[in-house]
Formats: sequence, structure tokens, C-alpha cells
Amino acid sequence: MAMLEVQNLTKRYRDRVAIDALNFTVGEGEILGFLGPNGAGKSTTMKILTGFMPATSGRAVVGGFDVFERPLEAKRCIGYLPETPPLYPEMSVRGYLAFVGRLKGLKGKALANDLERVAAATGVTQELDRLIVNLSKGYRQRVGLAQALLGSPKLLILDEPTEGLDPRQRQEVLTLIKSFAGKHTVILSTHILSEVKAVSQRVLMINRGKIVAHDAIEAFSQGKENGLEESFIRLTAA
Amino acid sequence: MRNVITIARKELSIYFTTAWGWFGAAAMAFISAFFFLDLLEGFVQLQASGRRDAPGLRNLTDGVVVNLFGVLLFITLFVAPFLSMRLFAEERRQKTFELLFTAPVRSLEIVLGKYLGGVGVIGAILGITLIYPAILAVFGSSESGHVLEWSTVFTGYLALMLWASTCMGIGMFISALTESQALAAILTFVVLLLWIALGVLVRSVDEPLRSVIRYVHFDSQLQPLMKGVFDPKAVVFFLSAIVLSIVLTHRAVEAQRWT
Repeated sequence: MAMLEVQNLTKRYRDRVAIDALNFTVGEGEILGFLGPNGAGKSTTMKILTGFMPATSGRAVVGGFDVFERPLEAKRCIGYLPETPPLYPEMSVRGYLAFVGRLKGLKGKALANDLERVAAATGVTQELDRLIVNLSKGYRQRVGLAQALLGSPKLLILDEPTEGLDPRQRQEVLTLIKSFAGKHTVILSTHILSEVKAVSQRVLMINRGKIVAHDAIEAFSQGKENGLEESFIRLTAA
Repeated sequence: MRNVITIARKELSIYFTTAWGWFGAAAMAFISAFFFLDLLEGFVQLQASGRRDAPGLRNLTDGVVVNLFGVLLFITLFVAPFLSMRLFAEERRQKTFELLFTAPVRSLEIVLGKYLGGVGVIGAILGITLIYPAILAVFGSSESGHVLEWSTVFTGYLALMLWASTCMGIGMFISALTESQALAAILTFVVLLLWIALGVLVRSVDEPLRSVIRYVHFDSQLQPLMKGVFDPKAVVFFLSAIVLSIVLTHRAVEAQRWT
């Protein structure tokens, strides 16, 4: 079953077309690498899928719920990490995660358990009582990821989740994302192609608001070490 | 409703973990204490001079508390914009706007939660000033037996809360229009100041404009309440202003998602 179905999704800003009639589906438990040069429309697509921004036309269905017609049900299926982790610096990590958990409908014991679970998964258990303002960039990114995981959403939309992390932290986050395979559906937006190679099964590539490729990762690499890089450069050259 | 309270609680906790809530509370406490002492001293002196029949000097309620309400109203005018400025502007600057609007929460719940948090903080700050009527009740004395007319104190605080809640509503709407907190604070202050300045205009224009301006001028709506006369018209007036600012804020945040 498809976790995400996107049909003719279009977003226009006055005279500029940000995304143009996108059509794709993402299966349950799949990790999709979402690639494209800067300004290709990746962030716009993700903002529409998460219900933050309405599309000009077309539809997106998450977990069987139309994002525009039944936004609350669709949003309950999604965990979203935007490009900049949405954190309140003056809150403690625990206070922040509890706040997000409550917004997602968790309460009482279930909230406390889930908070511990996501903190352990993202390696922030030791930092739970620290104020976010005092955290390093890497830890902030992890807290951002932790809030996306709260409530075990079926679909995770991660916009450059390894941004600002050192190589070791990057590796840890990628291992974590890889462990989601089969459990969560993940859309991983990044411009670091090696990360996509490391975790994704399929790749969706867009350029200037249009899909230029959507295929299994093997189809891009064609057995070559830098096949994905070559495909990226070739397909996004226009 | 649960989401509204969750968001309101978050707002309140942020107000009191940052300097803003404490700054507002300190400003209110310091300035109001100064004026309270001044009014009390003036009252005592006039009482001593024997002019007991002069209006407003017959008792502590009219002589001190009612006059203090006027002062609190002005302090609120300065404090409210500093509290309301961060409500939405800060969410946008910190990029947490996206967190709220991608959570399974209605946008009206976000606006109401933020508003309730704002009203909670200004209410708590105004609550500090309850110490003055309390001091008068404990240490004051009166020939009639009742030191204070509590009904007047109650309607006075109702008036102050209505005014403060309206200031927060207007401030929240302006905060939803900009990313800059400083700009939001200044604009809110200017709008509230212009509203006050309408009082000057009342004297210089003719009917029927004069009646219209007098009606929309907040002071003429607040005066009866502050003097202890419960006026449902004034309550309806301010509640309408509050509802209007909530609706406008909701429209403003929704509109921003479309662009």
C-alpha cells in the first residue's frame, strides 16, 4: 500500500512555478531519497506535504487522508524535521519534547515513555534537562529529529537532517534513519548524495519544479561507484 | 481545548523563563508602588487639612484605589506591547511557526492558545497590584466600618483586565504581521497611543462625529467601570474588540501560509 500519493501537485507564486504537476507514490516502509539542486522545489514540496502550505492545484494523500481536505488526520501520520530545527531555545529539551508530544495528542505515561524512547533513539537522554539554548548545533539537530519521531508517525519527512553535524554524528543519524526501513516511511531530502546511497532504496530527483527521475537506487548507480553523482549532474543540468 | 491549554502553558512558561515576564512584573510593581504611595500621601494630607467633602476624598476607594486604576491603565499601555510583541514574531524568527502549523492542531487553536498565554501573563502582572487594596483593607480605617468598597475594586479590576486583554489582542495581531519583535512592539504602542489620543479629538470635532469618536474611545467606555458602575455595554465593547483581534490574527497567519 502507498503511504504517500501525490497527484499533479503544483505550486505557483504569482508568475513563478515552484513545483509543476508532480506525480509520485511512496510505499509503506520505504526510504526515499529526495534530491535536487538548491531552488528545485524540494522544500516547497515538503511544506505542502506536511500541510504547512496549501498547493495551487493537485492533491497529496498521506496514510489515506487528503492533506488539504482532512489536514488533522494527515498531520497525525507525519513527523517533520524542517531545514532549520524548530526549537524554543529558552525551553529545556524535556519541556520542549513534552510540548510537542502533547500537541501530537500524547499524554500521561504514554507521553513520558515516548519521550524517553525518542531521546534514547537520538542520543539526547543525557541532555534532557539542559536548556536548548546551551546545546551544540549537533544536539539541536538531534532534538529536532527527536520531536519528529514523537508519536511514532508512519511518515517521516526529513529536510537535510544531517546538516551541521560532524562526520561521526552524521553517521549515527544515518544509521538511525536506516533502522526505520520497514517501520516508518521516510522522505529524506539532502544534497549529499553519499547519504542517499547509504540509506535509500529509491530516489526521486527534481529539477526546476519537475520530476526528472524516480527509480530504484541501483538504476542510477548502474554498478558504478559515482553513478548517482553522474546521473544527478546529467539530469539537473538543464 | 486541550491544544489551546498546551500552547497557553508553553507561552506562560516561556514568559517566565525569559526576562520579559519578570521585566513586565518589575516595571508594574515599581511604578505602581510609586504612584500608590503618592496617592496615599496626597489623600492623607487632604484628609488632615479637613477637606473631607471634596469629591473623591470621602473614602479610600474613591480617593486612592480609583485614581490608582487610572495609573495602572497607563502602565499597562507600556507593558502590554513588550509582552505581546513576541507572540508570533518570535515563532517566525525562530522557525517554530512551521512546527506549530504542521502539528495536528487547528490554526485557531494556536491563535487562542497564544492569546490565552498572553492574557495569563498580563493578568498575573496586574495581579501584583492587588496588594494595594489588600494593604488598605488591612491597615486602613473608616468611620462607616468598611474601609474599601469591594464592588468598586472588583469592577475596576474587570475594567483593567478588559483593557489589558484588548491591548494583548491588538499586540498579537500586529505581532502576526511582522518578523521583527521591536517593530511589533512599537506599532502596537503607536496604535494604542492613537486610541488614547482620540480623547483629545472629541473636544475639537462637531456632532455627529463627536459621539462616534466618544463611543470608540476606550476611556469613555472604561470610566464607568473604573468608578464602580457595572456597565454591560463596556464589557460588550471590549469583548468585541478582543474577538475582532483574534479573528484578524487568525486571518493574518492563515494568509501567510498561502503566500
